[in-house]
Amino acid sequence: MAGGSRAGRWARRALAAAIGLAFVFPFYWTVVISLGHPGEFSNFPPLLVPHWDWSNWSRAWHSAPWVRLFANTILIASCTMALCLVTSLLAGFAFGVLRFPGRKVLTLVVLSVLMMPGTVLIIPDYVLANDLHLLNTYWIQIIPWGASVFGIFLVRQFFLTMPSEILDAAALDGASRLRFLRSIGVPMVRPALVIIAINVFLGSWNSFLWPVIMTSSNMESSSTVQPVEVGLSTFANAEGTDFPGLAAAVTFTTLPVMVFFLLLQRQFIRGALSAAGGVRG
Amino acid sequence: MRKRITAAAGLAALALATTACAGGGASTPKSDSGSSGKAGGSGTELAVPTGPVTITFEEAMTIGTLKPAMDKLVSDFQAKYPNITVKLQGDPDYGTMYTKEKAEVQAGNAPTIGQAYESWASYFQAAGKLVPISELAGTDSPAEMSTFYKGIQADMKLPDGKTWMWPFNKSVLILFANADLLAKDGQSAPKTWDDYASVMKAVSTNGVTGSTIDPGSATGATFGTQWFEILAKANGAGLYDADGTPHLTDPGVVKALQYMKDLKDANALATGKNYPGETALGAQKGVFDISSAAGYGFENKTVGGKFKLDITALPTGPSGAVNELTGTNIVMFSSATADQKAAAWAFMKFITSPAEQAQWASTSGYLPVTSQALSDPVMQAFVAKNPYETAAVSELDTAFALPGFSWIFKCQGFESTAIQEALENGKQPADALNAAQSGCAAAKAQG
Amino acid sequence: MTATTDAATAVAAPPGSARRRRPARDFRATRWGWAYSAPAVLVFLAFVIIPTGYTFYVSLWKWNALNPALSKFKGLGNYTRLFQANQPTFLSSLWHSLYFTGAMVIGGTAISLALALLLQRGGALLNGTRVALFLPHATPVIATSMIWTWIFNYKFGLADWILHSLHLPTSQWLQSSSSAMPAVVIYSLWHEVGFTTVVFLGGLATLSNELSEAARVDGCSGWQEFWHVTWHQLKPVTVFVVAITAITSLQAFTQFYQLASGGPAYATTTLSYLVYQEAFLFSDTGYGAALAVVLFAITVFFTLVRRRTAANGESHALV
Repeated sequence: MAGGSRAGRWARRALAAAIGLAFVFPFYWTVVISLGHPGEFSNFPPLLVPHWDWSNWSRAWHSAPWVRLFANTILIASCTMALCLVTSLLAGFAFGVLRFPGRKVLTLVVLSVLMMPGTVLIIPDYVLANDLHLLNTYWIQIIPWGASVFGIFLVRQFFLTMPSEILDAAALDGASRLRFLRSIGVPMVRPALVIIAINVFLGSWNSFLWPVIMTSSNMESSSTVQPVEVGLSTFANAEGTDFPGLAAAVTFTTLPVMVFFLLLQRQFIRGALSAAGGVRG
Repeated sequence: MRKRITAAAGLAALALATTACAGGGASTPKSDSGSSGKAGGSGTELAVPTGPVTITFEEAMTIGTLKPAMDKLVSDFQAKYPNITVKLQGDPDYGTMYTKEKAEVQAGNAPTIGQAYESWASYFQAAGKLVPISELAGTDSPAEMSTFYKGIQADMKLPDGKTWMWPFNKSVLILFANADLLAKDGQSAPKTWDDYASVMKAVSTNGVTGSTIDPGSATGATFGTQWFEILAKANGAGLYDADGTPHLTDPGVVKALQYMKDLKDANALATGKNYPGETALGAQKGVFDISSAAGYGFENKTVGGKFKLDITALPTGPSGAVNELTGTNIVMFSSATADQKAAAWAFMKFITSPAEQAQWASTSGYLPVTSQALSDPVMQAFVAKNPYETAAVSELDTAFALPGFSWIFKCQGFESTAIQEALENGKQPADALNAAQSGCAAAKAQG
Repeated sequence: MTATTDAATAVAAPPGSARRRRPARDFRATRWGWAYSAPAVLVFLAFVIIPTGYTFYVSLWKWNALNPALSKFKGLGNYTRLFQANQPTFLSSLWHSLYFTGAMVIGGTAISLALALLLQRGGALLNGTRVALFLPHATPVIATSMIWTWIFNYKFGLADWILHSLHLPTSQWLQSSSSAMPAVVIYSLWHEVGFTTVVFLGGLATLSNELSEAARVDGCSGWQEFWHVTWHQLKPVTVFVVAITAITSLQAFTQFYQLASGGPAYATTTLSYLVYQEAFLFSDTGYGAALAVVLFAITVFFTLVRRRTAANGESHALV
């Protein structure tokens, strides 16, 4: 599939560039709107070059404690990710390698978790969180998402493909299961862990209804535990939308993530690549 | 083995937690105290507490000019009553707010007071979770109430005839227009809905559409839905009886939908989402937008001085001027302590006092609920700059609200769906409304 | 050896010769298995399984969430109502869920595979494109779907402006029953394909070159080579992509909430949106619970059917 003629290579690059531009165009346009004069977002034909009016930015910046919200998002996403990695690794190991009574039942129970529509669980979960005094805490935004069926089954998948000779050798060495998991298991399933980490991190960053319901605070407060997404959702209300303000807020909250991603994209994509390579039946 | 036992203990604890939630109000022993709703009241009004009290207020005034207006109410109040702290719990939108208030009430964690539409209030009240105004004021019709506009007064009651709500962010719909485009086409501001239709058709040329509305969805009414209700009432239709019986197939209602469909078929009306009328107006691709008076700040910003923005009262129909209230009231949840009730009652009265209403209305764009606010210098300055305010406020006496049943919300969803079916899917208005009528009747029967 | 993920098969005797079986079983068999799975299981138990049990219970009542003492027992009443409902019908919502999931699985898989083939083994420019594809996935749905509401604005949104500039017919996008779901799919593809493309790129990177070479030597055309060699080797990755797309699509909620609110005229009311609408907005907790239970039953049914029909040893699915 590689190579082809010189013309073919250029055609391929041109096509790739065009597709890339199409994907980032909504972002470009968002930036343009955020830097336009407040009424210009509704211009027709649409505004396509920024006017460098920073008033939307300053208005949006002052509408919420963004630094705090952003730090919250990072904290919540990182902790969820860490917790999820641990639970997935342990449970994936248990389901993929170990044999114990009731395992089949437990596997089915965990699978069934996947089948419950998340929206119905919010109210019972809210009541539970209230009884456990977890409302308005980081915990309620972390613990319930600290286990992932997807993660467990991905790790299990990796262990299932492991040649049984490795296990036999470990057993003959008399290694404990925990040590085996630490020294042999983790390196083996590392690609799976990378993909789980990415997925859980982004999933956490994408949650909306959950933090809105489970936390409450006014945006003034410097002690808020709410994430960035909640701040972003306050630009529309019953009487209208502050669209340029939203565009500004989307820009400055997404920017750090983009920079982060650009800096780490090599590792990021390589992780995903090796994980995908490891997903073999 | 020990692991198993601990796990079992954990399970039992969780089961207990679930029982607690099945038991609902168990954690809030006071929860039913309000349900009796002593009609006449005790005759004595709650006195403002002197010790430190904190009350919480679930609200959605989180953006634009609404936030500073809300903050000002709170800081003025706290300056007057330094012992009382008002904690605002801001929510991004009303759908989320309703979900949240329900979750909070269910968990026994309700705020002291919260914004609520009439139908929400009905839902909370039916479960015995609201404090009636009579318990606070000592009477079902406190003195302040008589200073409010008539439409507002009626809106404070639920169908049981008792006062359960206190007015907060109230408004009516008004007509925003691009005066330059109108003048260019030699048209003037329409006086009746028939005028409106002919002006809309006349201006809809060269890529301009008379107006773009949001017809709402099955899960939420919008100004487009309310415009439809206003048209129906202006045609003399009953829409809903006081007991909630729907009349969505009345000739006046069908006529209203036919009116909208004709405009759509003439390319003079389009539909959209997320304040499409405002956007179209700002893009100079729409001439009119029917929106809440409180949307003034947003409209003005979108227009951004590109043209002259005309603001007038809505046109009239065969039944005269008809308008519908928008916005919410305040309800008090029964889990509040005695001190919180007294403090919150002081807050509710404070924010509807003429001076605060003048401040609030001139900053937020919502309408003052009492005519006494109009003589305040702040309000007079605002009215001088915004002449539409006089006309809008005068409609507060006659503006209607749909009967306050929890399921009326569903019926509005059926109305919205009927509008979409007629405008987008080419259904005949009568057929679309038949479906809405049966859906609404079923919703009423289920209660 | 082909490992399958079917729980049933996995529970059966481990592969390997009888001679090796003994030490392996010793290492594998342990009651501590419970402890290893406990952290995950406890989280599920507390926040999913017990609330699910509660949901089953509630579905038998006309449930007053605020004051359960006022609830009325209805037996299967909510379930019969569910199948009689006509605004919207249960089947139409199920259809919308399957429509969205199908479009995302087929469209998402095909597009990301095509993009991966285009971008594999590239230089700086192609790497830049990979980043561009991935960026939408790294931004919150709630924020970008608000932006897309504007892009889809009928007549003067960006999308229609582009169509108009290219002299193509414009679309009503979210405003018409026929184009609303495709519009949501377009948005969701924009948001999701970056991730699946990267996964396919990973799969492509591990393919063996020898097979392709051999195919070419054998005189296979580019297409035949792709079909018989590349595609065949990519099967496990494809199954992975399909599974993860199907799961996220069935559960998708935020974009429906933000872009279309289930409309117009129920055209984007999927089951998960319907559950939200009934249980949350309409406070019809018992009815919403019944819907959730049926949705649950349907998913279980499909999973069982899939397990039954998966060819022996050929099952690569994760779940």
